[in-house]
Amino acid sequence: MPQLIELRRVTKAFGSLERPTVVLEDINMSVHEREFVSVVGPSGCGKSTLLRLIIGLTEPTDGEVYYRGRRVQGICEGMAMVFQTFALFPWLTVAENVELGIHGKQLSKDERRMRVLKILELMGLHGFEDAYPRELSGGMKQRVGLARALISDPEVLLMDEPFSSLDPLTATHLREEVLDLWLDPKVAPEAVIMVTHNVEEAVYMADRVVVLTSRPGRIARDIQLNMPRPRDPRSNEIYRLVDEITGIIA
Amino acid sequence: MDLERVRGKSLLTLPRVHVGQMIGLLEVLEDFKGRVDAAKVADDLILELDDLLPAVDAAELLGFLKVESGDLILTEEGRQFLAKGASGRKKFLNEHIMKLSAFKAIVDFLRSHKNHEVTREELLEFLRKEMSDEDAESAIPWIVEWGRYSLILHYDSNNGKLKILRTPK
Repeated sequence: MPQLIELRRVTKAFGSLERPTVVLEDINMSVHEREFVSVVGPSGCGKSTLLRLIIGLTEPTDGEVYYRGRRVQGICEGMAMVFQTFALFPWLTVAENVELGIHGKQLSKDERRMRVLKILELMGLHGFEDAYPRELSGGMKQRVGLARALISDPEVLLMDEPFSSLDPLTATHLREEVLDLWLDPKVAPEAVIMVTHNVEEAVYMADRVVVLTSRPGRIARDIQLNMPRPRDPRSNEIYRLVDEITGIIA
Repeated sequence: MDLERVRGKSLLTLPRVHVGQMIGLLEVLEDFKGRVDAAKVADDLILELDDLLPAVDAAELLGFLKVESGDLILTEEGRQFLAKGASGRKKFLNEHIMKLSAFKAIVDFLRSHKNHEVTREELLEFLRKEMSDEDAESAIPWIVEWGRYSLILHYDSNNGKLKILRTPK
Protein backbone atom coordinates (compact mmCIF):
# COMPACT_ATOMS: atom_id res chain seq x y z
CA MET A 1 0.00 0.00 0.00
CA PRO A 2 1.23 3.55 -0.73
CA GLN A 3 3.00 5.37 2.04
CA LEU A 4 1.09 8.24 3.67
CA ILE A 5 3.27 9.43 6.51
CA GLU A 6 6.97 9.14 7.13
CA LEU A 7 9.04 10.28 10.09
CA ARG A 8 12.78 10.47 9.40
CA ARG A 9 15.13 10.62 12.37
CA VAL A 10 12.70 12.78 14.30
CA THR A 11 13.80 14.16 17.65
CA LYS A 12 11.74 16.52 19.76
CA ALA A 13 13.07 18.40 22.77
CA PHE A 14 11.49 21.03 24.96
CA GLY A 15 13.09 23.60 27.23
CA SER A 16 16.24 25.66 26.72
CA LEU A 17 19.06 24.86 24.31
CA GLU A 18 21.46 24.42 27.21
CA ARG A 19 19.24 22.08 29.20
CA PRO A 20 16.80 20.47 26.79
CA THR A 21 14.33 17.79 27.83
CA VAL A 22 14.38 15.25 25.04
CA VAL A 23 10.90 13.77 24.68
CA LEU A 24 11.30 11.76 21.48
CA GLU A 25 14.57 10.60 20.00
CA ASP A 26 15.49 9.31 16.56
CA ILE A 27 12.02 8.17 15.53
CA ASN A 28 11.89 6.47 12.14
CA MET A 29 8.52 5.16 11.14
CA SER A 30 6.02 5.21 8.32
CA VAL A 31 2.29 4.71 8.01
CA HIS A 32 0.66 3.34 4.88
CA GLU A 33 -2.80 3.48 3.41
CA ARG A 34 -5.30 1.11 5.04
CA GLU A 35 -3.24 0.85 8.21
CA PHE A 36 -4.59 1.19 11.73
CA VAL A 37 -1.52 1.88 13.85
CA SER A 38 -1.48 2.00 17.64
CA VAL A 39 1.31 3.71 19.53
CA VAL A 40 1.82 2.46 23.09
CA GLY A 41 4.34 3.25 25.77
CA PRO A 42 4.70 4.32 29.38
CA SER A 43 3.28 7.69 30.42
CA GLY A 44 5.52 10.59 29.54
CA CYS A 45 7.18 8.76 26.64
CA GLY A 46 6.08 11.33 24.09
CA LYS A 47 3.15 9.47 22.55
CA SER A 48 0.96 12.57 22.33
CA THR A 49 3.87 14.66 21.07
CA LEU A 50 4.28 12.16 18.25
CA LEU A 51 0.71 12.84 17.08
CA ARG A 52 1.25 16.60 17.35
CA LEU A 53 4.35 16.30 15.18
CA ILE A 54 2.50 14.26 12.56
CA ILE A 55 -0.39 16.72 12.22
CA GLY A 56 2.00 19.68 12.30
CA LEU A 57 0.89 21.26 15.57
CA THR A 58 4.53 21.27 16.64
CA GLU A 59 7.82 21.01 14.72
CA PRO A 60 10.58 18.48 15.23
CA THR A 61 13.77 19.76 16.83
CA ASP A 62 15.65 17.51 14.45
CA GLY A 63 14.58 15.35 11.53
CA GLU A 64 11.57 15.65 9.24
CA VAL A 65 7.95 14.57 8.97
CA TYR A 66 6.51 13.86 5.50
CA TYR A 67 2.90 13.50 4.43
CA ARG A 68 2.42 12.04 0.96
CA GLY A 69 6.04 12.81 0.24
CA ARG A 70 5.80 16.49 1.17
CA ARG A 71 7.46 17.87 4.24
CA VAL A 72 4.98 18.83 6.99
CA GLN A 73 5.26 22.53 7.78
CA GLY A 74 2.26 23.87 9.64
CA ILE A 75 -1.02 22.13 10.30
CA CYS A 76 -1.81 19.39 7.81
CA GLU A 77 -5.05 19.60 5.88
CA GLY A 78 -6.22 16.07 5.36
CA MET A 79 -5.72 15.02 8.97
CA ALA A 80 -8.06 15.35 11.94
CA MET A 81 -7.58 14.68 15.62
CA VAL A 82 -9.70 13.25 18.44
CA PHE A 83 -8.72 14.18 22.00
CA GLN A 84 -8.92 12.34 25.31
CA THR A 85 -10.89 15.13 26.96
CA PHE A 86 -13.15 15.65 23.92
CA ALA A 87 -12.22 19.36 23.52
CA LEU A 88 -15.79 20.52 22.86
CA PHE A 89 -16.98 24.10 23.20
CA PRO A 90 -19.51 24.12 26.06
CA TRP A 91 -21.46 27.08 24.69
CA LEU A 92 -22.03 25.43 21.30
CA THR A 93 -24.60 22.74 20.56
CA VAL A 94 -23.66 19.29 19.27
CA ALA A 95 -24.39 20.33 15.66
CA GLU A 96 -22.36 23.55 16.04
CA ASN A 97 -19.41 21.73 17.59
CA VAL A 98 -19.43 19.24 14.74
CA GLU A 99 -19.65 21.98 12.11
CA LEU A 100 -16.37 23.40 13.44
CA GLY A 101 -14.71 20.44 11.72
CA ILE A 102 -15.43 22.09 8.34
CA HIS A 103 -14.79 25.65 9.51
CA GLY A 104 -12.96 27.57 6.82
CA LYS A 105 -13.91 25.19 4.03
CA GLN A 106 -15.53 26.74 0.97
CA LEU A 107 -18.97 25.18 1.23
CA SER A 108 -22.48 26.52 0.75
CA LYS A 109 -24.79 26.79 3.77
CA ASP A 110 -26.88 23.90 2.45
CA GLU A 111 -23.84 21.72 1.87
CA ARG A 112 -22.64 22.43 5.44
CA ARG A 113 -26.02 21.56 6.90
CA MET A 114 -26.18 18.38 4.84
CA ARG A 115 -22.72 17.22 5.91
CA VAL A 116 -23.47 17.93 9.56
CA LEU A 117 -26.72 15.95 9.43
CA LYS A 118 -25.08 13.06 7.59
CA ILE A 119 -22.21 12.67 10.05
CA LEU A 120 -24.53 13.09 13.08
CA GLU A 121 -26.66 10.26 11.75
CA LEU A 122 -23.63 8.08 11.07
CA MET A 123 -22.31 8.63 14.60
CA GLY A 124 -25.67 7.87 16.24
CA LEU A 125 -26.05 11.50 17.32
CA HIS A 126 -29.34 12.05 15.52
CA GLY A 127 -31.72 13.39 18.19
CA PHE A 128 -28.92 15.21 20.05
CA GLU A 129 -28.38 18.02 17.50
CA ASP A 130 -29.51 20.81 19.85
CA ALA A 131 -28.01 19.36 23.04
CA TYR A 132 -25.10 21.07 24.77
CA PRO A 133 -22.03 19.09 25.84
CA ARG A 134 -23.02 19.40 29.53
CA GLU A 135 -26.14 17.37 28.79
CA LEU A 136 -24.18 14.47 27.30
CA SER A 137 -22.56 11.37 28.73
CA GLY A 138 -18.81 10.94 28.18
CA GLY A 139 -19.49 8.45 25.41
CA MET A 140 -21.77 10.87 23.58
CA LYS A 141 -19.22 13.66 23.98
CA GLN A 142 -16.56 11.51 22.36
CA ARG A 143 -18.97 10.67 19.53
CA VAL A 144 -19.22 14.43 18.95
CA GLY A 145 -15.40 14.58 18.95
CA LEU A 146 -15.30 11.79 16.36
CA ALA A 147 -18.03 13.40 14.27
CA ARG A 148 -16.16 16.73 14.27
CA ALA A 149 -13.01 14.93 13.11
CA LEU A 150 -14.72 12.82 10.45
CA ILE A 151 -16.91 15.55 8.93
CA SER A 152 -13.90 16.92 7.04
CA ASP A 153 -13.39 13.50 5.43
CA PRO A 154 -9.80 13.28 6.67
CA GLU A 155 -7.30 10.95 5.04
CA VAL A 156 -5.67 10.31 8.39
CA LEU A 157 -7.51 10.16 11.71
CA LEU A 158 -5.33 10.74 14.76
CA MET A 159 -6.72 9.68 18.13
CA ASP A 160 -5.04 10.62 21.40
CA GLU A 161 -6.20 8.26 24.18
CA PRO A 162 -9.76 8.45 22.81
CA PHE A 163 -11.29 6.00 25.28
CA SER A 164 -9.20 6.72 28.38
CA SER A 165 -11.62 9.02 30.13
CA LEU A 166 -14.61 6.75 29.54
CA ASP A 167 -15.94 4.10 31.91
CA PRO A 168 -15.21 0.49 30.83
CA LEU A 169 -18.69 -0.23 29.42
CA THR A 170 -18.84 2.95 27.36
CA ALA A 171 -15.28 2.41 26.16
CA THR A 172 -16.17 -1.13 25.04
CA HIS A 173 -19.07 0.20 23.04
CA LEU A 174 -17.20 3.09 21.44
CA ARG A 175 -14.25 0.89 20.43
CA GLU A 176 -16.68 -1.31 18.50
CA GLU A 177 -18.17 1.74 16.82
CA VAL A 178 -14.74 2.98 15.74
CA LEU A 179 -13.87 -0.47 14.38
CA ASP A 180 -17.16 -0.56 12.46
CA LEU A 181 -16.27 2.81 10.92
CA TRP A 182 -12.79 1.54 10.08
CA LEU A 183 -14.27 -1.44 8.26
CA ASP A 184 -16.79 0.65 6.32
CA PRO A 185 -15.11 1.68 3.05
CA LYS A 186 -17.62 4.51 2.52
CA VAL A 187 -16.50 6.45 5.60
CA ALA A 188 -13.16 5.03 6.76
CA PRO A 189 -10.14 7.32 6.58
CA GLU A 190 -7.08 6.02 4.73
CA ALA A 191 -5.24 5.48 7.99
CA VAL A 192 -5.77 5.71 11.74
CA ILE A 193 -3.06 6.41 14.29
CA MET A 194 -4.16 5.87 17.86
CA VAL A 195 -2.11 6.66 20.92
CA THR A 196 -3.05 4.70 24.03
CA HIS A 197 -1.56 3.49 27.28
CA ASN A 198 -3.96 0.54 27.19
CA VAL A 199 -2.08 -2.37 25.59
CA GLU A 200 -5.19 -4.61 25.34
CA GLU A 201 -6.95 -1.87 23.43
CA ALA A 202 -4.00 -1.37 21.08
CA VAL A 203 -3.72 -5.08 20.27
CA TYR A 204 -7.47 -5.56 19.92
CA MET A 205 -7.92 -2.68 17.48
CA ALA A 206 -4.77 -2.15 15.42
CA ASP A 207 -2.99 -3.73 12.46
CA ARG A 208 0.35 -2.63 13.84
CA VAL A 209 1.57 -1.69 17.31
CA VAL A 210 4.51 0.67 17.72
CA VAL A 211 6.00 0.36 21.20
CA LEU A 212 7.91 3.34 22.62
CA THR A 213 10.44 3.26 25.44
CA SER A 214 10.21 5.57 28.45
CA ARG A 215 11.54 9.11 28.02
CA PRO A 216 13.18 9.89 25.77
CA GLY A 217 10.76 7.85 23.67
CA ARG A 218 12.45 5.65 21.10
CA ILE A 219 10.87 2.90 19.07
CA ALA A 220 11.42 -0.32 21.01
CA ARG A 221 9.39 -2.56 18.71
CA ASP A 222 7.16 -2.27 15.67
CA ILE A 223 4.86 -5.28 15.66
CA GLN A 224 2.72 -6.27 12.71
CA LEU A 225 -0.45 -8.05 13.83
CA ASN A 226 -1.79 -10.47 11.31
CA MET A 227 -5.03 -11.29 13.04
CA PRO A 228 -8.30 -11.46 11.13
CA ARG A 229 -11.27 -9.35 12.21
CA PRO A 230 -13.57 -9.42 14.06
CA ARG A 231 -11.26 -10.39 16.89
CA ASP A 232 -12.05 -11.97 20.19
CA PRO A 233 -10.64 -9.62 22.84
CA ARG A 234 -10.25 -12.59 25.16
CA SER A 235 -8.41 -14.90 22.77
CA ASN A 236 -5.12 -16.56 23.69
CA GLU A 237 -3.32 -14.79 20.86
CA ILE A 238 -4.35 -11.37 22.17
CA TYR A 239 -3.35 -12.33 25.73
CA ARG A 240 0.04 -13.51 24.46
CA LEU A 241 0.71 -10.27 22.56
CA VAL A 242 -0.44 -8.14 25.50
CA ASP A 243 1.99 -9.99 27.77
CA GLU A 244 4.80 -9.59 25.27
CA ILE A 245 4.25 -5.82 24.83
CA THR A 246 3.70 -5.19 28.53
CA GLY A 247 7.03 -6.94 29.10
CA ILE A 248 8.76 -4.50 26.74
CA ILE A 249 7.23 -1.43 28.39
CA ALA A 250 7.73 -2.53 31.99
CA MET B 1 -53.44 10.41 31.82
CA ASP B 2 -52.31 9.85 35.35
CA LEU B 3 -49.97 7.25 36.64
CA GLU B 4 -52.55 5.08 38.38
CA ARG B 5 -52.30 2.35 35.81
CA VAL B 6 -48.56 2.03 36.21
CA ARG B 7 -48.66 1.68 39.98
CA GLY B 8 -46.99 -1.47 41.13
CA LYS B 9 -44.68 -1.02 38.21
CA SER B 10 -43.25 2.16 39.53
CA LEU B 11 -41.86 4.81 37.27
CA LEU B 12 -38.57 3.97 38.93
CA THR B 13 -38.41 1.20 36.39
CA LEU B 14 -36.89 3.50 33.82
CA PRO B 15 -33.40 2.87 32.48
CA ARG B 16 -31.05 4.75 34.78
CA VAL B 17 -27.79 4.27 32.93
CA HIS B 18 -26.29 5.84 29.82
CA VAL B 19 -27.42 4.23 26.57
CA GLY B 20 -23.79 3.57 25.59
CA GLN B 21 -23.15 1.74 28.85
CA MET B 22 -26.04 -0.62 28.26
CA ILE B 23 -24.89 -1.27 24.70
CA GLY B 24 -21.35 -1.84 26.00
CA LEU B 25 -22.65 -4.50 28.38
CA LEU B 26 -24.52 -6.25 25.56
CA GLU B 27 -21.35 -6.22 23.45
CA VAL B 28 -19.37 -7.78 26.29
CA LEU B 29 -22.04 -10.48 26.58
CA GLU B 30 -21.76 -11.15 22.88
CA ASP B 31 -17.98 -11.56 23.29
CA PHE B 32 -18.71 -14.19 25.94
CA LYS B 33 -20.91 -16.04 23.42
CA GLY B 34 -24.11 -14.73 24.97
CA ARG B 35 -23.88 -16.18 28.48
CA VAL B 36 -21.54 -15.34 31.35
CA ASP B 37 -21.48 -14.98 35.11
CA ALA B 38 -22.16 -11.37 36.13
CA ALA B 39 -19.27 -11.41 38.59
CA LYS B 40 -16.94 -12.52 35.78
CA VAL B 41 -17.99 -9.53 33.64
CA ALA B 42 -17.42 -7.13 36.53
CA ASP B 43 -14.05 -8.70 37.20
CA ASP B 44 -13.07 -8.58 33.54
CA LEU B 45 -13.94 -4.88 33.25
CA ILE B 46 -12.40 -4.07 36.65
CA LEU B 47 -15.75 -2.84 37.92
CA GLU B 48 -17.64 -3.49 41.12
CA LEU B 49 -20.70 -5.67 40.55
CA ASP B 50 -22.82 -2.77 41.83
CA ASP B 51 -21.50 -0.57 39.04
CA LEU B 52 -22.70 -3.09 36.50
CA LEU B 53 -26.24 -3.37 37.84
CA PRO B 54 -27.80 -0.23 36.30
CA ALA B 55 -26.76 -1.48 32.85
CA VAL B 56 -28.05 -4.99 33.65
CA ASP B 57 -31.37 -3.55 34.88
CA ALA B 58 -31.83 -1.39 31.77
CA ALA B 59 -31.04 -4.24 29.39
CA GLU B 60 -33.35 -6.61 31.29
CA LEU B 61 -36.14 -4.02 31.35
CA LEU B 62 -35.93 -3.72 27.56
CA GLY B 63 -35.81 -7.50 27.09
CA PHE B 64 -32.25 -7.54 25.74
CA LEU B 65 -30.90 -9.80 28.48
CA LYS B 66 -32.10 -12.26 31.10
CA VAL B 67 -30.60 -12.96 34.50
CA GLU B 68 -30.53 -16.61 35.53
CA SER B 69 -28.76 -17.86 38.67
CA GLY B 70 -26.10 -15.17 38.51
CA ASP B 71 -25.56 -15.51 34.76
CA LEU B 72 -26.31 -12.78 32.27
CA ILE B 73 -27.86 -14.17 29.10
CA LEU B 74 -28.18 -12.21 25.87
CA THR B 75 -31.70 -12.68 24.47
CA GLU B 76 -32.64 -12.99 20.80
CA GLU B 77 -33.95 -9.40 21.00
CA GLY B 78 -30.59 -8.31 22.36
CA ARG B 79 -28.80 -10.02 19.48
CA GLN B 80 -31.10 -8.40 16.95
CA PHE B 81 -30.45 -4.99 18.51
CA LEU B 82 -26.66 -5.46 18.34
CA ALA B 83 -26.82 -6.60 14.72
CA LYS B 84 -28.20 -3.23 13.61
CA GLY B 85 -26.35 -0.07 12.64
CA ALA B 86 -26.71 3.32 14.37
CA SER B 87 -30.08 4.23 12.80
CA GLY B 88 -31.45 0.69 13.07
CA ARG B 89 -30.67 0.59 16.79
CA LYS B 90 -32.51 3.86 17.36
CA LYS B 91 -35.60 2.53 15.61
CA PHE B 92 -35.40 -0.78 17.47
CA LEU B 93 -35.01 1.00 20.79
CA ASN B 94 -37.85 3.35 19.92
CA GLU B 95 -40.17 0.34 19.57
CA HIS B 96 -38.91 -1.38 22.71
CA ILE B 97 -38.87 1.64 24.96
CA MET B 98 -42.48 2.39 24.12
CA LYS B 99 -43.39 -1.02 25.54
CA LEU B 100 -42.27 0.22 28.96
CA SER B 101 -45.37 1.36 30.83
CA ALA B 102 -43.42 4.14 32.46
CA PHE B 103 -42.21 5.64 29.19
CA LYS B 104 -45.62 5.23 27.64
CA ALA B 105 -47.18 7.09 30.59
CA ILE B 106 -44.77 9.96 30.06
CA VAL B 107 -45.52 10.12 26.33
CA ASP B 108 -49.27 10.04 27.09
CA PHE B 109 -48.77 12.87 29.57
CA LEU B 110 -47.01 14.96 26.91
CA ARG B 111 -49.64 14.08 24.36
CA SER B 112 -52.36 15.43 26.63
CA HIS B 113 -50.80 18.89 26.40
CA LYS B 114 -51.01 21.50 23.66
CA ASN B 115 -48.43 20.87 20.94
CA HIS B 116 -47.47 17.72 22.83
CA GLU B 117 -45.12 19.89 24.83
CA VAL B 118 -44.52 20.39 28.57
CA THR B 119 -42.01 22.30 30.66
CA ARG B 120 -39.46 20.52 32.76
CA GLU B 121 -41.39 21.65 35.86
CA GLU B 122 -44.65 20.19 34.58
CA LEU B 123 -42.95 16.86 33.96
CA LEU B 124 -41.34 17.01 37.39
CA GLU B 125 -44.71 17.57 39.01
CA PHE B 126 -46.14 14.63 37.10
CA LEU B 127 -43.30 12.37 38.19
CA ARG B 128 -43.59 13.47 41.83
CA LYS B 129 -47.02 11.86 42.03
CA GLU B 130 -45.25 8.56 41.66
CA MET B 131 -41.89 8.95 43.33
CA SER B 132 -39.93 11.00 45.79
CA ASP B 133 -38.83 14.51 44.85
CA GLU B 134 -35.25 13.33 44.65
CA ASP B 135 -36.06 10.38 42.39
CA ALA B 136 -38.23 12.54 40.16
CA GLU B 137 -35.45 15.10 39.77
CA SER B 138 -32.86 12.44 38.97
CA ALA B 139 -35.20 10.67 36.50
CA ILE B 140 -35.42 13.64 34.14
CA PRO B 141 -31.92 13.47 32.61
CA TRP B 142 -32.46 9.73 31.94
CA ILE B 143 -35.85 10.37 30.32
CA VAL B 144 -34.22 13.06 28.16
CA GLU B 145 -31.25 10.90 27.17
CA TRP B 146 -33.23 7.78 26.28
CA GLY B 147 -35.98 9.87 24.68
CA ARG B 148 -33.47 11.70 22.52
CA TYR B 149 -31.52 8.59 21.59
CA SER B 150 -34.63 6.71 20.50
CA LEU B 151 -35.95 9.80 18.68
CA ILE B 152 -39.12 9.93 20.78
CA LEU B 153 -38.52 13.19 22.61
CA HIS B 154 -36.98 16.56 21.89
CA TYR B 155 -35.66 18.62 24.79
CA ASP B 156 -34.59 22.23 24.49
CA SER B 157 -32.45 23.07 27.48
CA ASN B 158 -32.61 26.79 26.61
CA ASN B 159 -36.30 27.01 27.47
CA GLY B 160 -36.61 23.73 29.40
CA LYS B 161 -39.35 22.39 27.12
CA LEU B 162 -39.83 18.74 26.35
CA LYS B 163 -41.95 17.61 23.44
CA ILE B 164 -42.79 14.55 21.43
CA LEU B 165 -40.48 14.41 18.44
CA ARG B 166 -42.59 12.04 16.46
CA THR B 167 -45.68 10.24 17.53
CA PRO B 168 -44.75 6.65 18.26
CA LYS B 169 -47.32 3.98 17.44
